[in-house]
Amino acid sequence: MTLALSGSDIAKQIEEKFPGSVVEATDQNLMVEAESLFDIAGYLKDTPGLDFDYLTLITAVDYLDCFEVVYNLTSIKHNHSLVLKARCYSRQNPTLPSVVGLWRTADFQEREIYDLMGISFEGHPNLKRIVLWEGFEGHPLRKDFL
Amino acid sequence: MEIEEVYSSRQLDEKEGRQINELIDRSQQPIPDPDRWLEEELERNILLTSVDAILNWARRSSLWTVVAFPACCAFEFITTEASRFDLSRFGMEIIRASPRQADLMITAGTLTWKMAPQIKRIYDQMAEPKWVIAMGACAVSGGIFASSYSVVPGYNRIIPVDVYVPGCPPRPEALIYGIRMLQEKIARQSLIAEDK
Amino acid sequence: MLAEYGDIGLLLALAIFFAVTTLLLPFSLSLPARLTIYFRRFQHYLETRYPFMTKFVPPLPKFPRFMQVVPYKPNPAKNSTFECGMETIGQAWVRFNFRYYFYALIFIALDVMVVFIYPWAVGLKGLGLFGFIGILVLIFVLFIGYLYAWRKKVLEWK
Repeated sequence: MTLALSGSDIAKQIEEKFPGSVVEATDQNLMVEAESLFDIAGYLKDTPGLDFDYLTLITAVDYLDCFEVVYNLTSIKHNHSLVLKARCYSRQNPTLPSVVGLWRTADFQEREIYDLMGISFEGHPNLKRIVLWEGFEGHPLRKDFL
Repeated sequence: MEIEEVYSSRQLDEKEGRQINELIDRSQQPIPDPDRWLEEELERNILLTSVDAILNWARRSSLWTVVAFPACCAFEFITTEASRFDLSRFGMEIIRASPRQADLMITAGTLTWKMAPQIKRIYDQMAEPKWVIAMGACAVSGGIFASSYSVVPGYNRIIPVDVYVPGCPPRPEALIYGIRMLQEKIARQSLIAEDK
Repeated sequence: MLAEYGDIGLLLALAIFFAVTTLLLPFSLSLPARLTIYFRRFQHYLETRYPFMTKFVPPLPKFPRFMQVVPYKPNPAKNSTFECGMETIGQAWVRFNFRYYFYALIFIALDVMVVFIYPWAVGLKGLGLFGFIGILVLIFVLFIGYLYAWRKKVLEWK
């Protein structure tokens, strides 16, 4: 079974490398600042002990005061996994750095999040609607869509 | 039909989006069911009755379905097609990929607005005479997704439907009952009547 | 024909009848519906382009509904190419890969050789050693050509 790593353990490592970026670290997940997301993701991918080379899933949640994007990372080499979260507080134009450069699977998944939630990803090569059609107005999975 | 020269995927996306938006605007009202002739009393000429009988028998005993099964009701259709609830005994074991060789469209599945232009085009490309069975709650009225932003509330918004088979999904027996109803409807058609 | 060729003549007649019926019968049964539509289109064409000609052209007959056994209802989607519900983009006549040409050439040459080997195989005993040497010569000659193609890397798909 894949060992689900505790966020608090990794948080110490990350605080040393990127001071001030960890917002909250619980047993289930690790929440970081949006600005340092790309660097931390790169660090998680490249560090020999962590080696998170497989991005299982990206989803987004709409809490009415903020958006939260959840990254499920897995390491095939060491067989452990981690949940990484990032929040963005803007409602009109939420933006996050894209992790397509690190994990190619983020390509379609970030497009889906853009399509249904409206969160833009900087650095994404092809950010356009994927499940709904071009010309659809609005982002349906937001809580204030209807 | 003019073939627009599209050069980039951006233009293709915009063209598809325009097409879908136009289809949504056109499909605000359901298309009336093609069964108003059922109520009329037809004066049947004695000479034509046998021609009618033969033609209708031939048409209803060999309904060939076209491949257009968007979602889960397709599995019930496959079950109906398979050996336990046999569709081959109705002459319907052939499912034609090309709409030009098919005369029945069993719409098995939820239809989204994104897929709707394709289904409409397949229906348009079917050769006359053609019939439609709306299978499942999503085909009849949108089912549990009726108020969704992306689901067509019933196939009769875009194509005329002859028989409605409710169910989620309808049991194979229900689908066979619907097919029998369609066969009875075809049996009552006449060459004298207008519109088919 | 029956007396001379027996059953084969009957089968031939049946085959011709079947082919003709399959092709001609649906077409001829669809003629009433087709002609009604063509006449209607022609009338409309005249009325819009040359209104004065409608006096000279007599009203074309409309076939009664019971004669229109096979329906004819064209529409733009029906007349266009089928691509699983999508509209087609571009032409269907695309350029073939030239590598297929090599395979076709070699196939022709070796197929001709096979055509010669079959009768030799049938008359194997009667042809004896002389025939065997002959067929070996034939195979050898064609094999030289095949070897040339092989060494020239024509059969590889790069």
